[in-house]
Amino acid sequence: MFQFDTLSLIFVALILLGAIPNIFYSSGYLPHIQRKLHYQLHYFAFIFSMLGVIVSANALVFLFFWELMSLTSWQLILTNVQGKSTIKAARFYFIMTHFGFLFLLLFFLIVSDGELEISFSAMKLIASHFTYPTLLFFFLVLGFLSKAGAVPLHVWLPYAHPEAPSPVSALMSGVMLKVAIYGMFRFLFDVLYPWPLEWGILILSLGALSALVGVLYALSEHDIKALLANHSIENIGIILIGFGMGMIFDTLHLKTLSTFAFIAALFHTFNHMSFKSLLFMSAGAILHQTHTKNMEKYGGLIKTMPVTAFTFLIAAISISALPPSNGFLSEWMIFQSMLSSSHIDNTSLKLAIPFAIFALAMTGGLAIACFVKAYGITFLGLHRSTNAKHAKEVNPLMQSGMIMMTLVVLSLMLFTPFYIQWFDKVFVGLHRASIYAQIFPDGIWNMHSIGISGGIVSPLILLLSLVGITALMLFAYRIFNVKTRVHHTWACGYKTSPKTQYSATGFAGPIRRFFNWLYKPEEHLVKQTIAGHKSKFSSSHYEVHVKPLFEKIFYDNIAKFINYTSYWVYRLAHFEQTRYAAMIFNIMLVVLFSYRVFAHDFSWATFVLEFFVMMISVKILIIGDKK
Amino acid sequence: MILYCITITLLILLAPLLLSYIKVTKMLLLFKRPISLFQGYRNFSKLMHKETIISKEASAITHYAPFLVLSPLLIVLFFLPPVVQGSYYVSFVDAFTITGLISLSTFFLMLLGLDSASAFGGMGSSREAFISALVEPAMVLTIFSVSLMAGNLGVGQAGVNLSEHFPKEHMASFLFSGISFFILLIAENGRIPVDNPETHLELTMVHEAMILDLTGIYLAIIETAASIKFIIFASLFAALFMPFGFEFSIPIAFLIFIFKLFFIATMVALLEVNTAKLRLFKIPNLLGLAIVFAFLSLITFYVLGA
Repeated sequence: MFQFDTLSLIFVALILLGAIPNIFYSSGYLPHIQRKLHYQLHYFAFIFSMLGVIVSANALVFLFFWELMSLTSWQLILTNVQGKSTIKAARFYFIMTHFGFLFLLLFFLIVSDGELEISFSAMKLIASHFTYPTLLFFFLVLGFLSKAGAVPLHVWLPYAHPEAPSPVSALMSGVMLKVAIYGMFRFLFDVLYPWPLEWGILILSLGALSALVGVLYALSEHDIKALLANHSIENIGIILIGFGMGMIFDTLHLKTLSTFAFIAALFHTFNHMSFKSLLFMSAGAILHQTHTKNMEKYGGLIKTMPVTAFTFLIAAISISALPPSNGFLSEWMIFQSMLSSSHIDNTSLKLAIPFAIFALAMTGGLAIACFVKAYGITFLGLHRSTNAKHAKEVNPLMQSGMIMMTLVVLSLMLFTPFYIQWFDKVFVGLHRASIYAQIFPDGIWNMHSIGISGGIVSPLILLLSLVGITALMLFAYRIFNVKTRVHHTWACGYKTSPKTQYSATGFAGPIRRFFNWLYKPEEHLVKQTIAGHKSKFSSSHYEVHVKPLFEKIFYDNIAKFINYTSYWVYRLAHFEQTRYAAMIFNIMLVVLFSYRVFAHDFSWATFVLEFFVMMISVKILIIGDKK
Repeated sequence: MILYCITITLLILLAPLLLSYIKVTKMLLLFKRPISLFQGYRNFSKLMHKETIISKEASAITHYAPFLVLSPLLIVLFFLPPVVQGSYYVSFVDAFTITGLISLSTFFLMLLGLDSASAFGGMGSSREAFISALVEPAMVLTIFSVSLMAGNLGVGQAGVNLSEHFPKEHMASFLFSGISFFILLIAENGRIPVDNPETHLELTMVHEAMILDLTGIYLAIIETAASIKFIIFASLFAALFMPFGFEFSIPIAFLIFIFKLFFIATMVALLEVNTAKLRLFKIPNLLGLAIVFAFLSLITFYVLGA
């Protein structure tokens, strides 16, 4: 019923590392919540169910805990209902997560032949006899990636995460998404093992697309929690890039490179857990103090909330993949595994991988821009609203949660070799050669890439030298005893005021303008002009909103299509019981026929026959004679 | 090890001279009376003695960021390819670490721009964020293709490999990545046509706008960082794209290297005199060109056979 192999244990550690600081933070956050019992109950059930998913050893237990995880998190989003947007977000989340659940259920029903209590290794046998393994793969992708938030199933994240209480968004984004990644690892390795090349390429392209889409929408966002939610999409994309590279290398029989890429993906999974939880906690602290999620209303918080500002800075450096942070190290590993693509024989594939490198590098650049915006507008400059002016540092419990999470981030940075050694054991457990000795051939100082004449990075030396040189310069500065004077910022002779600063909208302006074809923003400009002059005005108000393209094109059209068909069905039935009965009969026929098509061998003759049977039955029973 | 230290000291000492040299060349070409070649050092010593004015609106970031802008760049100096034979060099540090360190420096520079609550600082940071986001992919792809040609991902080793046996069969992709890298050199260092380092007109500033509120020692640090960034790019260009002169005896090799640096500076000056600054929203076209050349270089490398 339960299993505790290395993969499970590593993810148990991930959940515990994510959840323990979060429990401290959550108890500090508790006075802010009205329905305390409801919240506590679901909060602990949520953590418990995630642990359950990780250690379950058969499909029934897995699905039980998976569903429990979805339902508790759904209730947690509904903790503080503030108007319609919360309910809409919760409903969206509910539908998306059950959409995924449906495919997981289908997957398990097929690979377990109806016996949901058999072990995963027994499933492998059944799956290997199944005629359409790619169908199973698609079920897994739809089931897990709708939870993980990869394009095109990412749309719920920027709605659900901001509405949940901050400790819950930290858990959902930092930990729950990783449970879905665990599912990918577990079932791709244990059930569907020999993968065709196309699967890896699909995962790689989904990853590259998610990374770019996530960071681009994050840039256009002013709601700090929605911004972070969009960054989760980006980081899941980066994890999937590593995962996809691992799958590609595995099919091409480059086993050590494949292990390296998988370790990189796993390492980034851990890193994203640490810094994203920390970012959500800090954002929650700000939200707690300023009562707004709008970044345009922040500013100057570094002076009143130094602890929050410091933790946010550490996390921002890490998520922007700047050396020597842990985020840099895992992205470095993913880059290195992509650069090893020059070992691939297949020229067209070799030519395609630079595009993924391009996507990842672009993502890195845009992420830096985005976090300069998030940090600069939130913490630096002058306060942009009275709420920000009166913000104080949060209570010690919440602070301790954030500091503990900072320690997790720092530990991932300082003890990289230890973590890598541990991840390596997962793959040793999966009958692969250990590559720890190849990554760290001479002690813990240098980290090597696996490829022939690959790159090397020395995280600890980088960190030490950065700290050393900066400290040396600061020391020299102290010795110089420079005369300083404090004066207002020069504002061309005008008074320096919060309104003269750059806003978040303005900061992202050039990038938004460059990607106008993607954003298609809705702009609202209201100007109070003076005496009919176009350029002279007493007051003006500018707002810009970006609705994600995927939602606009993909989801809205699906909704339209469903509306249209349901209207058509409704017209056919027009409330006659016999017609309803006939429709149910026809639906049963469709299900039976499609089961036969999928579960047994496909042949065009029977397919055509069944198609005609269906057409005749629909014509006679439902449509009937035209009157 | 002594040669290694000499190289680094030489680079730090040459850095302000090189920027002044560009300025002098430009002024001569425009028939102006040139400034002294040592203006960079003069500015530095003057700023060191000046009183520092700190903005009342600024936070602790202003106190620490200038040091964090300079220190990653100083570390990069230690990772550059060797200049002369027999010199010690750090062979293994790869391009990502170097671009990452440069990004770290830019990150703190952008925060510095936003710290003083001035509209100029925000504008500069916003533009810098835009430009450096587009520079990043081109940089990674270019260095990837060069290191493929050199047969090693470590930048130091790649420089040595290229000068020891130059891959003549990959001349085409070598040329493409050279063009791409030169565009990046201009973009990253804020030269015309991307940014005008001499302007004090707010509408066109990028780098200057971010540091508008700094004086005294902080300004000196940031100016030093800018000159060091230029010399990093120039010496990377010299080592990777002009791989010759390495095999001569030590003093001659040093002279050739310095000559190469001044040659690059002259090229930049000539380009600055002959082009106008691009509008901000035309810059992506230029950087797109760099990205396209980087891709072309990779593709020709793969197609013509590794």
